[in-house]
Amino acid sequence: MTITQKSTPWYFLPATIIVAGCMVSIINFGVRSTFGQFTLPISEAHHWPRETYSFAMALQNLLWGIGTPFAGALADRYGSARVLMVGAVIYALGVVSMNYADAPILLHLGGGLVAGLGIALSSFGIVMAALGRIVPPEKRSWAFGMATASGSLGQFVFSPIVAAMITAYDWHTAIYMLAASCLVIVPLAAPLLVQNTKTSTKVVGETDLSMSEAITKAFGHTSYLLLVSGFFVCGFHLAFITVHLPPYLAEHGMTKEFAGFAMALIGLFNVVGSYTSGIIGGRGEKRVPLSLIYVMRAAAIAAFILLPITQTSTLFFTATMGLLWLSTVPLTMGLITVMFGTRYMGTLYGFVFLSHQIGSFLGVWLGGKFYDMFGSYNPVWWMSVGLGIFAAIVHLPIRERRAASFAAA
Amino acid sequence: MIWPGHRLALSLFAGVLLAWVAVMTFLMHRSALPPEATGTMLAVFEPGVQENQAMATIVAAGANVVRQSSFDFIWVVTSDEPGLAGRLHDNGALGAYRELPISPTIAGCFAVADAKVAAAFQ
Repeated sequence: MTITQKSTPWYFLPATIIVAGCMVSIINFGVRSTFGQFTLPISEAHHWPRETYSFAMALQNLLWGIGTPFAGALADRYGSARVLMVGAVIYALGVVSMNYADAPILLHLGGGLVAGLGIALSSFGIVMAALGRIVPPEKRSWAFGMATASGSLGQFVFSPIVAAMITAYDWHTAIYMLAASCLVIVPLAAPLLVQNTKTSTKVVGETDLSMSEAITKAFGHTSYLLLVSGFFVCGFHLAFITVHLPPYLAEHGMTKEFAGFAMALIGLFNVVGSYTSGIIGGRGEKRVPLSLIYVMRAAAIAAFILLPITQTSTLFFTATMGLLWLSTVPLTMGLITVMFGTRYMGTLYGFVFLSHQIGSFLGVWLGGKFYDMFGSYNPVWWMSVGLGIFAAIVHLPIRERRAASFAAA
Repeated sequence: MIWPGHRLALSLFAGVLLAWVAVMTFLMHRSALPPEATGTMLAVFEPGVQENQAMATIVAAGANVVRQSSFDFIWVVTSDEPGLAGRLHDNGALGAYRELPISPTIAGCFAVADAKVAAAFQ
């Protein structure tokens, strides 16, 4: 892409593009992370069992996962900015509909399906697809790291704001605020239109394959399949720890307040880890650091459950896991661009992310299922260790070069 | 074209955190309780207060301790007698706030910021 300094308006300047993309990530991730706080107020207001709201959120996560490859395909076809703008409006409609849902089916449709689709269309994967095309290759990994770290920061800042807002005002007002936040994505996505302007030139060295050919050939590429299977483990770890660590800590005598603090520590260290991973990915091979992240996760989990569970060991564990939390994302996205270029990166990352979400589903579900079966979280902790080692191994044979079928014509 | 680097990242993240502190402080201000309020609430003292001093104030205000936070200057207290918030303030607490569904430690820190801002404009 050729952008000349003289003719570049301020909203297409590199710093503006990066900041705008990161703000989109902050809002998308931040808003999504607050939905758990509406479980009680919405359930109590309508006298619904908790299952009603939980099912809406499960649908939302399902749509987010399934919708991401399609959102990526749309971004690759029509440009990320347009997809983000449409996604933001859909996201806002889904969120605001939760204020008017007076029947379970309306909540499932609005807060579940519509919001889930909106999340997929305005997610940081779409932002990274744009940044991947806009920033020069030597800055690409750093930009992925920034976008990922921004998403983490969004989770960290939005959650207490919404909690305080529900108390200071009411849950209806908090939902309106969240919907309004989603709409802010529309102007924030505008600088990413630089990817679609007439002044943008076709990126040299990109494949001429059609989208369906690209998807078929990617799934026939062993390294891509290894990447997809490795990212499954990432989703498994994250979802299991997010949902089941607080009750595990409660079993070991930790207070709810301490568990909340320990979980917040994950969010804070995640910002540092994601950003650092982006820098590391830009300096050399990505598969080795990615493999090391999974080895360190396995080691951290094993050490945590083998040593006595104390406040100190818990804080050390959550800080370590925070550093390793989404640090896989910039490296995974980086590997996709190395193997397949940037033309279909939104779509191909979408399929990798779908694998992540399937892992998330299994992490949450098996955590509960095995706890009920064995009366302990230990089987799933050890399964997490095993999966971490598996992911470390499968990343090593990845060929970190352009796939032959994706070479430029 | 010069692409930005770590300075931009630091500025963005610091800016977001500053905005977050401002919004949280505003929301804590909205959660401040009037003197006649009673029930379960967050009692916030001057940072550095001794635990026995805080306890003395709570007892003098006729409140019971629900739980202590990670800091000695933030307590969750309760009472059935009307006017607990006012009594806490009269006995030396910086302020009384609705109990937020977030960590009392974090909420208390923002409450201190709110109380300091309020005191600066009195």
